Amino acid sequence: MTQWSGYFGLILQGALVTIELTLMGSVLALIMAFLAGLGRLSRFFAIRALATAYIEFFRGTSIFVQLFWAYFVLPFIGISLTPLQAGVLALGLNVGAYAAEVVRGAIQSIGREQYEACIAVNLGRWQAMRHVILPQALLVMLPTFGNNAIELLKATAVVSLISLTDLTFQAQVVRSQTGNTMVPFTTILIIYFALALIISWGVRSLERRMARGLDGVRV
Amino acid sequence: MSAPIIKIDGISKSFGTFKVLDGLSMQVMPREKLALIGPSGSGKTTILRILMTLERIDSGHIQIDGEQLYHMERNGQLLAADERHLARMRQKIGMVFQLFNLFPHKSVIDNVTLAPILTKGMPRAAAEKRAMELLDMVGMADKAKAMPAQLSGGQKQRVAIARALALQPRIMLFDEVTSALDPELVEEVLNVLWRLCSETDMTMLLVTHEMGFAHDFADRVLFFDRGKIVEEGKPDEIFRNPKQERTQSFLKKIIAAGHRV
Repeated sequence: MTQWSGYFGLILQGALVTIELTLMGSVLALIMAFLAGLGRLSRFFAIRALATAYIEFFRGTSIFVQLFWAYFVLPFIGISLTPLQAGVLALGLNVGAYAAEVVRGAIQSIGREQYEACIAVNLGRWQAMRHVILPQALLVMLPTFGNNAIELLKATAVVSLISLTDLTFQAQVVRSQTGNTMVPFTTILIIYFALALIISWGVRSLERRMARGLDGVRV
Repeated sequence: MSAPIIKIDGISKSFGTFKVLDGLSMQVMPREKLALIGPSGSGKTTILRILMTLERIDSGHIQIDGEQLYHMERNGQLLAADERHLARMRQKIGMVFQLFNLFPHKSVIDNVTLAPILTKGMPRAAAEKRAMELLDMVGMADKAKAMPAQLSGGQKQRVAIARALALQPRIMLFDEVTSALDPELVEEVLNVLWRLCSETDMTMLLVTHEMGFAHDFADRVLFFDRGKIVEEGKPDEIFRNPKQERTQSFLKKIIAAGHRV
């Protein structure tokens, strides 16, 4: 009989690394999404071009390659990252590129009459964006942001390839030490799924909170 | 005789190949109440939108209160207005829209206080006090905490009027403000306009299909067709005794459609 409790400890440690990566990656992705999403709507060509280049490049190349590049190639130009730093960077930039299009689309979905109301009450461009357009657009973004966060969670598995001890890495450790394949991989399958469920629930309750009052039912 | 507060000088505006305004000139005196009537597509709404800087003009000049709206004078030269100049000019003008355009994520009172706080640096307490006075005037004080989605069309429009008034504009533009309302809600909005008309000395431009109200409200009525003023005069002249054939046929159609004149 294998000593499973010790191995579960390993897997739980891996789960913590995965959660940490997901949280840090999501924060970076969120920042990149707003920078690039707003950048795509900029009045200035240079900013639009920069934002578009970022989005197209990171959507158009594989997350594996991006991660390997961040971890193995950057040292050649004098930037050495820890596996965690490289993982957060690659995940954040990759998912941020997708989410940037969500930000842009949501902002553009807000009707012209809202922009016109802002002009009529003489708000500046940034004031209108900050106080009128973004709060409404955020509600449109949320469901897709939830999807993006789950995508990011699942993509964290690739960091096991640069020896970061996340869930997937630990499962492989357990497998090689015990010779048992089914238990470790089934366990992490369930853990990934549970984490994804937590993200969906969180996003949905946030959505409900933000939509309060907009439907005319609640006070 | 004082100087006109709005002076429009030969403005033209096209949307694609459709010429909405064609060399239009007109003047509005301070405190004057003007009704703009005419068939749809005649350019009357476009004039309001141009005055609110929601549309740019292709050519011509507009002066508000003696200052160029779309141009700035720099060293004796007229340049295209920049955003700062436009923002300064917009302080003189307020607008109420056909579809209210309230901010749906903000409560009634926040709709009214947002701009005074942000654009005039008003302290929140002062802005709220002023907002409550305005909401009281439009009969919406008891709904100050409500969200726009909980209001009827007439209530929304009255809040929208309070929002525009909060910035204390000298000129108010009303763009078909009752057209989207159920018939039984039109009255409550017209009553508010009526109060503004008699109790304030704002200059008011009203685009409307409510001919009865236009008759009672306006000092002067302008009839528009195809981007030009076809006929203008005192309400009695225009509604009882129109001289131009196009004005006559327009009014006939309006009466046939059941509007009181």
